[in-house]
Amino acid sequence: MNHFCQQASKLVSDAYERRLALGERLRLRWHLLICSMCRAYERDIRRIESALRKLRGIPPEDVSLPEQERQRISKALKTDTPQGNSNTSS
Amino acid sequence: MSKDAENLADHPEDWLSEHGDYLYRYAMARLRNPELASDMLQETLLAAWKGSKSFKGNSSVRTWLVGILKHKITDHIRKEIRNRKLAEEIEADPTSAFFDPHGKWLDSPQQARNNPEGQYRDREFHKQLLDCIHQLPARQRDVFILREMEGEDTETVCNSCDISTTHLHVLMHRARLALRGCLQNSGFGIKETEE
Repeated sequence: MNHFCQQASKLVSDAYERRLALGERLRLRWHLLICSMCRAYERDIRRIESALRKLRGIPPEDVSLPEQERQRISKALKTDTPQGNSNTSS
Repeated sequence: MSKDAENLADHPEDWLSEHGDYLYRYAMARLRNPELASDMLQETLLAAWKGSKSFKGNSSVRTWLVGILKHKITDHIRKEIRNRKLAEEIEADPTSAFFDPHGKWLDSPQQARNNPEGQYRDREFHKQLLDCIHQLPARQRDVFILREMEGEDTETVCNSCDISTTHLHVLMHRARLALRGCLQNSGFGIKETEE
């Protein structure tokens, strides 16, 4: 017996990329009804996608610019922006 | 003069102290390379300074800076993809590692039940997810980041990376399978290793 799981996993992924054809949708839906492994996969992918949507906006908060790099950039900015330090247009 | 427009009269060094950490985090999430991330940050601040006249004041300074940074990052990723294109053209199908020759799932880690530990904190999950994304093979990783983190549409990614839609879908499928596998191995899957 041939299993549909590998193709189903592609369809689950494709559904995020394109509109599935009617036949594909029906086949996938039917397969998900009878296959718990693919249901688990589908649920995991959904969880990953929803996490990614959140990650688009907000960077996770566990890294910050190393002090050394900050100083290096600050120095480079002083050299490359002739306006000089904290000089405003007032 | 709006508050933000006034801020723009500041020197880029003020942007660095106010938004430096945020921009660096943004770049790190996408590039995972401290050196590159701070280079991008520096380039962004310089470009912003040079183009500060283009700032309309209808968004916050941070949003404006993120826009410039985002542009620099996608540019960088595209160049990487193009440079790498020939070397990785031939690639075995990694998805078969997850299935037997009949197309059935090989491993049976996922019992179809809700995992009691499913309520892991978002932040840990996000962190692990980023780690896993950056463990993907370079090509999958790059298109995945453009698609999923920069939110570019299929056509834009295909055009800028010079790949077909079909190929993109294949890469995304591989990436999703690999990510899920990686998360499971890191203890974030449905699977419970103890039982």
